[in-house]
Amino acid sequence: MRYVMHAMRMNLRRAAQYRSSFRMQIAAQIVMTFGDLWAILLLAERFGGMAHWSLYEVMFFFGAMQIAFAVTEMINRGFGHISSLIRMGDLDTMLTRPRGIAAQVILSELDPRRIGSVAVGLTALTVATLKTGLRWTLPDVLLLLWGMTGTVALMMGLFMIEAVVCLFSVQSVEIVNVFTYGGRQTCQYPLDLYPDWLRTTFTYVIPIGLCLQFPVCHILGKPLAGAETGGWVWLGPAAGFVFLGLCSLAWRLGLRHYRSTGS
Amino acid sequence: MSEGEIIIRAEGLTKVYRRTSGGKGFLGLFRRRTEEVRGLTDAGFEIRRGEVVGLLGPNGAGKSTTVKLLTGILTADGGACGVMGRTPWLERRKIAADIGAVFGQRMQLWWDVPVLDSFRLLRDIYSVPEARWKARLDELTDALELGGILQVPMRQLSLGQRMRAELCGSLLHEPSILFLDEPTIGLDAVSKLRLRDFLRAENRERGTTILLTTHDMADMLALCPRVLVLGRGRLLYDGGLDALLRRYDTEHTLRCVFDGGAEPEGLPPSVGVRREGEAWTLTFAPAEIPVGEVLAKLLAAGPVRELTLKEQDTDRLVARMYADLKLT
Repeated sequence: MRYVMHAMRMNLRRAAQYRSSFRMQIAAQIVMTFGDLWAILLLAERFGGMAHWSLYEVMFFFGAMQIAFAVTEMINRGFGHISSLIRMGDLDTMLTRPRGIAAQVILSELDPRRIGSVAVGLTALTVATLKTGLRWTLPDVLLLLWGMTGTVALMMGLFMIEAVVCLFSVQSVEIVNVFTYGGRQTCQYPLDLYPDWLRTTFTYVIPIGLCLQFPVCHILGKPLAGAETGGWVWLGPAAGFVFLGLCSLAWRLGLRHYRSTGS
Repeated sequence: MSEGEIIIRAEGLTKVYRRTSGGKGFLGLFRRRTEEVRGLTDAGFEIRRGEVVGLLGPNGAGKSTTVKLLTGILTADGGACGVMGRTPWLERRKIAADIGAVFGQRMQLWWDVPVLDSFRLLRDIYSVPEARWKARLDELTDALELGGILQVPMRQLSLGQRMRAELCGSLLHEPSILFLDEPTIGLDAVSKLRLRDFLRAENRERGTTILLTTHDMADMLALCPRVLVLGRGRLLYDGGLDALLRRYDTEHTLRCVFDGGAEPEGLPPSVGVRREGEAWTLTFAPAEIPVGEVLAKLLAAGPVRELTLKEQDTDRLVARMYADLKLT
């Protein structure tokens, strides 16, 4: 734990070394994320909502997904750079140290700039709350946090799979991005707006639906794709952790076949 | 050197790299060929606590593979290996606490923060108690002359300073075994000498076992009484460095200058004679004609003003050894 805190502090200090570039990049994050939000606003204004969802309910989905994804990106930079960690021999170094490799990879490079997207996500949630007149209860807050945590676990799992492929080929594969970045784009809207196959994919195969959308629906008190929510939605986010567990098994297997590079 | 217990043991250690490459042409995109490259084949050796052992061999001989297997970076495909009684790739985290590793061509400390920050993080990575860490840091800062650069970010250091900082980082947790992969690569003469002195002292005073790979024969001669020679993934020699070099030191060279233009006479044809200005160079195999006999002939030929016996260049000896072992 001491190591984790220390490594996090060090990452912050490193970011602080380049203060002005850091500020600019946060600003850029905010502008980009806000662009996505803008698209929702435009669409919803034109059509006065989407299916049975009002504009502000959609903003709720958007905010939750953006925050979960931004947090994932904050801790995922190391896995995102895995091919360079392999090429530069940093992974070798990590293997000679008495700590878990996944933890070292994550802590090797955190990305605090994503705080910009978190801010936009929080703004969206706040505006949505005010406009829909939603009353938060403590269980609601916990359910949302739990749902976002499950989503982060799920996304980390996906990025780990990508890293595992890198261990074998030293090259990154883009196919997984269909589910990661694609998942973020898709699941910032309620899933029942989509055709069945897409909804099923993101509900049960890559279970963002179970992790995040059912909890959000439960808080909003609305059904998703005709399915009424209930106490069972609390179980949903666990799917993200199950997924992550499977992916870390693959990661371990990958490390056993890791071949290192050069001398 | 005291005879310590066996700290590293390898038996039949084997690592195979599978290289997949596409076939030729468009269809090659779909058909893959797998080619097996032997990284290390059936290597067996033992290293005792407190030894300094050099790994010698041309590029691609399996030196790095050996180091990576012993440090738990790679998983072996065959054979057994024990580092302090544990199999490195199965109990990686346990042995990690007791080994240090420096790879000369790589930076292991964090490059954009002051060196001291890296050392502090290492303290927490290895869970070294504060007091112990402080004492060890002071000691290493002294020995490696790091005092002036602790507050400087790694990226601003010279290569020599960087290597000293890396060494310090790898020794802060007081490992029993230190693995060094080409630690002197690219260093200037002064830095090299300092590094050698430091390693010798570290080994003598703390009994740290050192396993070292280098292409610099001067490093080997200065540090390693014992070497393991690898070639094409096989262990070809395990024994004293001196004995190994003597085996290939088959040609002696004498340089001689006479007073008053005398010439060497009465030497058998097996002695090569060359003249450059007033200096004579004689090359011969001591196995065929003893040095004393050559000397006697020279002294008999005329008044000798200068006489030097040139030592064989160790790089040349190693090149000859590689050629003899068909490694080049």
